[in-house]
Amino acid sequence: MTEFVVAEARAAAAPTSERLWRTWDTPPGIIGWFSAVNHRVVGLRFIVTALLFFLIGGLEALAMRTQLARPEAGLIPPELYNQIMTMHGTTMMFFFAVPVMEGLGIYFVPLMLGARDMPFPRMNALGYWIYVIAGVTLYWGFLTGQAPEAGWTAYPPLSQQEYLPGLGMDIWATAITFLEISALLAAVELVVLILKQRAPGMSVNRMPLFVWAILVMSFMIIFAMPAVMLGSVMLALDRLVDANFFDPSAGGHPLLFQHLFWFFGHPEVYIIFVPALGIVSSVLPAFVRREIVGYTALAVATVLIGFVSFGLWVHHMFTTGVPLLGAGFFAAASTIIAIPSGIQIFAWLATIWSARRIVWSTPLLFVIGFVILFTLGGITGVMVASVPLDWQVHDTYFVVAHFHYVLIGGAVFPLFAALYYWFPKVTGRMLDERLGKWNFWLMFIGFNIAFYPMHHLGFAGMPRRIYTYLPGTGWQDLNLLATIGAFLIALSAAFFLLNVVRSLRNGAVAGNNPWGAPTLEWATPSPPPPYNFAAIPSVRSRDPLWSQAELADAEPGAGDPPHPDAEPLVVELRDDRRETVGTSTLDGVPESRIVLTTPSLWPLLVALAIGLTFIGAMVTLWLVPVGAFLTFVGLAAWHWPSNRGYEL
Amino acid sequence: MSTTVIPAQALPVLLTGPKAPLWWAFVLLLGIESVVFGGLITSYFYLKQASSNWPPAGLDHPELLLPTLNTLVLIASSAAMFYGDRSIKRGSQTGLKIGQTTALVLALVFLTVKYIEYSGLPYDWSTHAYGSMVWTMSGFHAAHVMTVVLKGLVVEALVWKGYFTPQRRLGVQVNGLYWHFVVVVWIPLYFTIYWSPRLF
Repeated sequence: MTEFVVAEARAAAAPTSERLWRTWDTPPGIIGWFSAVNHRVVGLRFIVTALLFFLIGGLEALAMRTQLARPEAGLIPPELYNQIMTMHGTTMMFFFAVPVMEGLGIYFVPLMLGARDMPFPRMNALGYWIYVIAGVTLYWGFLTGQAPEAGWTAYPPLSQQEYLPGLGMDIWATAITFLEISALLAAVELVVLILKQRAPGMSVNRMPLFVWAILVMSFMIIFAMPAVMLGSVMLALDRLVDANFFDPSAGGHPLLFQHLFWFFGHPEVYIIFVPALGIVSSVLPAFVRREIVGYTALAVATVLIGFVSFGLWVHHMFTTGVPLLGAGFFAAASTIIAIPSGIQIFAWLATIWSARRIVWSTPLLFVIGFVILFTLGGITGVMVASVPLDWQVHDTYFVVAHFHYVLIGGAVFPLFAALYYWFPKVTGRMLDERLGKWNFWLMFIGFNIAFYPMHHLGFAGMPRRIYTYLPGTGWQDLNLLATIGAFLIALSAAFFLLNVVRSLRNGAVAGNNPWGAPTLEWATPSPPPPYNFAAIPSVRSRDPLWSQAELADAEPGAGDPPHPDAEPLVVELRDDRRETVGTSTLDGVPESRIVLTTPSLWPLLVALAIGLTFIGAMVTLWLVPVGAFLTFVGLAAWHWPSNRGYEL
Repeated sequence: MSTTVIPAQALPVLLTGPKAPLWWAFVLLLGIESVVFGGLITSYFYLKQASSNWPPAGLDHPELLLPTLNTLVLIASSAAMFYGDRSIKRGSQTGLKIGQTTALVLALVFLTVKYIEYSGLPYDWSTHAYGSMVWTMSGFHAAHVMTVVLKGLVVEALVWKGYFTPQRRLGVQVNGLYWHFVVVVWIPLYFTIYWSPRLF
């Protein structure tokens, strides 16, 4: 540790925790609630809001499955079905999957890095308010009958004014553009956090794999989301001010939208999936009682997946008449991504295989469920990557089956593993294991009953996005089966909710480290104090809470194992203002104290001003400069430095 | 086990460059913006190759003289910004004031000329896809120039208050970083809009 020695060992004057608490606490009352900026408050809000959207999107799915349970069911008229289908896709992709992963990153990465908060706490809050305003706008439109109905992909010409007049598509185009600001803010913040605020001693090759995954996810958001913003802005311009980007009669081209959309849309799938990989790699070691196998291979594979995912987008467009040479390139790239994914699968299998002891808790069940389902989804992914097969099954239920295997199997199962794994850290209470197992098995069985038949329906020619079908097509039985599976999934979600409610009331008390896990978030009380760590920890290994000797014997939940690697260095920080340690980008050597911002109402006000700019555009374009000017005023007031005494 | 203590005073609080989180955040913001501008240029050429008629028949090649001079004005503003940043690094408040103010004035000249240029165009965004592309590219960039002007005004106010010092100059530094980006990104846009119809 000599590389960190600035002053030789002297008694650490540990800051009194009451002063720290006062400095870091969120102010009370309604105004305090709206001005909260601490990363755990904002992160939890992201997670809870996203789960709420997951519930809503799930209910929309149930409505669709009920309609499709039998041929020519008249429950939902076609226009409403299109709206529900569009809202389901939009909700799940934009309002659930990405925000929930960002929320996990915002909540847990600072804890895993040993930081007290993120570098720009107010920007975090701004991102959350933008997300809420975008969600409320979209659902306000849906509930007042102004819903988009062109699918979550919103292809022109269907999404153009002449085919879908009315506010619905306008709301979609503006809300999506607006929402992506939130994702971009979170991504920038997470990258800076991970590069600059790691615990002393945490060089990049000691970062937990979840942190690697969030880093890759954030870079992918930075390079992918702007493309969909551009596409949705062009769509909004076409609709609102008669621009001609996608109108062939005026020299435009509808395929331009598909290119912009899928340049984002394909990485988007991996933006959701990469954090899930990180969850699996971070959850697994605690339940097999050994360090992860192939740390370096896993980290490199995560980065590779991030890169290669930008070279795949045209495989969504094989049937649009793209040149075959181009299609061949994208088919090859789509197949190549199986290699880093395969490396990960084998690393996890090796980790499980060489387990010291397997602890069959709910998080592990969800991880194993993930490995099975994701492998199946990956195999159908390789299938549809080949051009001839894609031509055959494009826009059929085979594709619906494929992407639900990848997204639910590949992201929702790890998400539930994460929820069971980290719930004790957030609340201080354990979730019930018996209900957890009901949750898992119902979801696993229900999922396969719901989505496996869809492969066959696709081969049998059932197109996706249809509101009904005729008797005599032979699709009837499998559709009924899929609907039964969907209700089983709903039942499993009910078990989860029940489990959460019961645990919050009288769950078992968790203690600091109930799973005997190796990473820093378990070195602090559950739930952590507002300042996360009374003293900033420092690390000398990848698994700072484990020493090799105690690994074999440690019982999960049997008290808190000592963590000799987590303590040798103390960086003094002031306790009368919000400070955390800044470290060097690669080696994690302390190089600065980063002074963080305090709670403020400005993020909410600025979010409202930006919302006025975007959403006002649908009412009258004059609101755009008004909103932009208010945004400027808000940002200037927010950043005016008078209230921050920046003395040394 | 012995414990090493780094006292608070040993670590700086006023940061510049890659030590400062804000500097990194701006670099990432430039990444985001590059994707948007890159997407606009790609869209321009995508629509161009898909159209047999680009720019549409009856439309002359874009005028060159005024936009070229205007581009030079914008580049000069970047030089002024650089001079201001370098001055405060060496402790010169006067140099900072001169640099910041000159850059702001030059950016306002650029916006005025742009307004004159686009008021005279025979088409707008609703005439054809070519018009949509050109107006969006120029409009989006002009919005960025307006943003750096507004942002520059805030920095300017702090400059005249004497807020910045050689240690406390991160605000000037990242403002300059973004300013240079807005200038540099105009150059590929300029070639796309004004030269590409002549060259291919």
